[in-house]
Amino acid sequence: MDVSRYAALFLAESREHLSACNQLLLEWEREPSATRQVGGLFRAIHTIKGMGATMGYAGVADLAHRLENLLDALRQRTVPPAPAVFQLLFRSVDALTTSVEGAVVGAEPPADERLAADLDAAAAGIASAAPRSPDASPAVPGDTRLAEDGQVRPVQVALRRGAVMRGARAALVVARAESLGVVSALRPPVTQFDSQDFDGRFSFRLASAASDEQILVALRSAGDVESVRYEEDPADAQSPGQSRQIRVDLGRLDALMKQVGELVVAKNRLGVLASGSSDPALSEVSDRIARLVSEMQAEVIAARMTPVGEVLERFPRLVRDLSLELGKRIRFDVEGDEIELDRSILDEIGQPLLHLIRNAADHGIERPEQRAAAGKSEEGRILLSASRERNYVALRLSDDGRGIDREAVLAKARREGLIDGSADALSDDLLLRVLARPGFSTAEAVSGVSGRGVGVDVVVTRVRALGGTIEVRSDLGRGTTFTIRVPLTLAIVRALLASAGGERYAVPLAYVAETVEFDPRSVTAVRDREALLVRERVIPTVHLRELVRNQPRPAPPRAPTVILEIGDRRVALVVDALMGQQDIVVEPFDAPRGMPPFVGGATILADGSPALILDAAALV
Amino acid sequence: MSHTVLVCDDAIFMRTMISDILTQAGFEVVGEAESGVQAVDKYRQLKPDLVTMDIVMPDMGGIEAVREICKTDPDAKILMCSAMGQQALVVEAIQAGAKDFVVKPFQPSRVLEAVQRVLG
Repeated sequence: MDVSRYAALFLAESREHLSACNQLLLEWEREPSATRQVGGLFRAIHTIKGMGATMGYAGVADLAHRLENLLDALRQRTVPPAPAVFQLLFRSVDALTTSVEGAVVGAEPPADERLAADLDAAAAGIASAAPRSPDASPAVPGDTRLAEDGQVRPVQVALRRGAVMRGARAALVVARAESLGVVSALRPPVTQFDSQDFDGRFSFRLASAASDEQILVALRSAGDVESVRYEEDPADAQSPGQSRQIRVDLGRLDALMKQVGELVVAKNRLGVLASGSSDPALSEVSDRIARLVSEMQAEVIAARMTPVGEVLERFPRLVRDLSLELGKRIRFDVEGDEIELDRSILDEIGQPLLHLIRNAADHGIERPEQRAAAGKSEEGRILLSASRERNYVALRLSDDGRGIDREAVLAKARREGLIDGSADALSDDLLLRVLARPGFSTAEAVSGVSGRGVGVDVVVTRVRALGGTIEVRSDLGRGTTFTIRVPLTLAIVRALLASAGGERYAVPLAYVAETVEFDPRSVTAVRDREALLVRERVIPTVHLRELVRNQPRPAPPRAPTVILEIGDRRVALVVDALMGQQDIVVEPFDAPRGMPPFVGGATILADGSPALILDAAALV
Repeated sequence: MSHTVLVCDDAIFMRTMISDILTQAGFEVVGEAESGVQAVDKYRQLKPDLVTMDIVMPDMGGIEAVREICKTDPDAKILMCSAMGQQALVVEAIQAGAKDFVVKPFQPSRVLEAVQRVLG
């Protein structure tokens, strides 16, 4: 059988399992007496072993097998979960990840003999020191392990109607099941038990040597159990909170999104035709199509939504490694990992977050002895939380470290002429602007400054490019919080509305640095181009009216001006009037011939009239 | 011999009420704790058959106390006392090792059912 076409699937599933392994290891390491994690680890590694062997990836299968043996010993408690063992487990999961990634592209790395030996020693060596009871285990553990747990049963549980706190009750049932064996494929997951939609029905697989009757008694003892059935859940597809899933290539979703976009444009044209026609049947069809298309658009956007946890879940492991490396004690928590975000934005946001997390661990959190001296707990804390705010998702990264020394930043900014001398205090906004100056405080670390400038410019640029915003709050000695807000989907952004020459335009707010008034007295010139002097900074001007209509500029009276900013570049866009802000839906734009390059799309404003979206990148 | 109980709650009112319900049902309340730290200490001293544990308490909350107690005694029989809206916390407590829960306002019959399940 040609298995190569399963490679992508193997990779995707293995990544999920490996990521889960890291998660479980972190939890377990924090609480070595816990018994819940080893089962999950074992199952994940077992699955990878099976898949790897099927694919013919000998290295993957071999490493997974050895790792499985050690996990088995841990599960049998013949090997205690000592710190050195955790190190070894983390190391093995890393090696397995490398092996999996390599195997898929036909470049399986050579076997790591030392790791293999360490694993075998850890599993066997200590096992012989603490001999197993004769009936405990077969000669070759691993291969038969799941079977040895007894039967794997599908279990469906329904709680009584009217049961108080269904979610907690369900968690109790699961805990009872876990006391009998290994629970997997829990649906909905525990994180959704707290949801309003949870109706008290859930299913899982239980690998256990207990009899049906024993299981029934144990589960019922959790209370409020209406029924327990040992069968696959046929209602998976229908019941809310339990969805069946398939994997879809992101490229397909992109293509679908694009198609829907074109459909929207066609729908709009049909709408115009229908409104000019006296045929009521045509209007009716047009209205119906309009409704169907917008529902379809919503569905496609929903299909692209992915829980932020998929990106955040790799961070705890990273912070753990960082803290070891830095000799610091850091507790890292993630909240709101179920919040959903458009997949393409999610892919982009990981890197900036990583940057900020590194900064927080490296520069924010103090060494244990410094923290103790400052009257703080020795363990520093970094919290990454995601929350939904209307059409945005806010990602907050806070640390309880030393905070940013504004005085020092201010002094340095002044010295370098980044801000004018009159400023005697740094507001949070100004602080971010200074930090985000490319290269600020990179090379020579200013004593007392946390060095937060490192790479913040990169973060700000990336976030803005996504149509997002970023804020910083910092209290000296108490910590720093960065808040990144990104639109739920690239299809909805907040924009500033402006008019020129009788038309309305939308400027994505992400690019707006500030608005000022065009004052003929502050006009100057830079390289033969008209420019505006704003707080001692020379910014080239663009008159929107001139741009769109090719109309000669009337004698410039005072006019509102939008300062656009991308990275370090700025332009002053002079408009006729500003008309407030609005969340706009970016309609995919099928640019008619002759459309100037600074138009990035079109939108329908709340009052139903159309407006063009300016592409700031083309203007700056 | 009747079962022994340790009642943990920072409110005297709640402690009294729970003690009354359990005493009338024939249990012996051998101790009370008003913080998580006290709960852990008294559990070690008294080795009660059952613990009722409030979730929100000063000086180490109930969940942390459950975790501590279960570290040394995974079979500890701990009944969480929670209020509506604390579901997420109750789930956490169960994952930490609590064996059951009751929801305020308490109905004596509900409390006793839960106690029976835990001791059962």
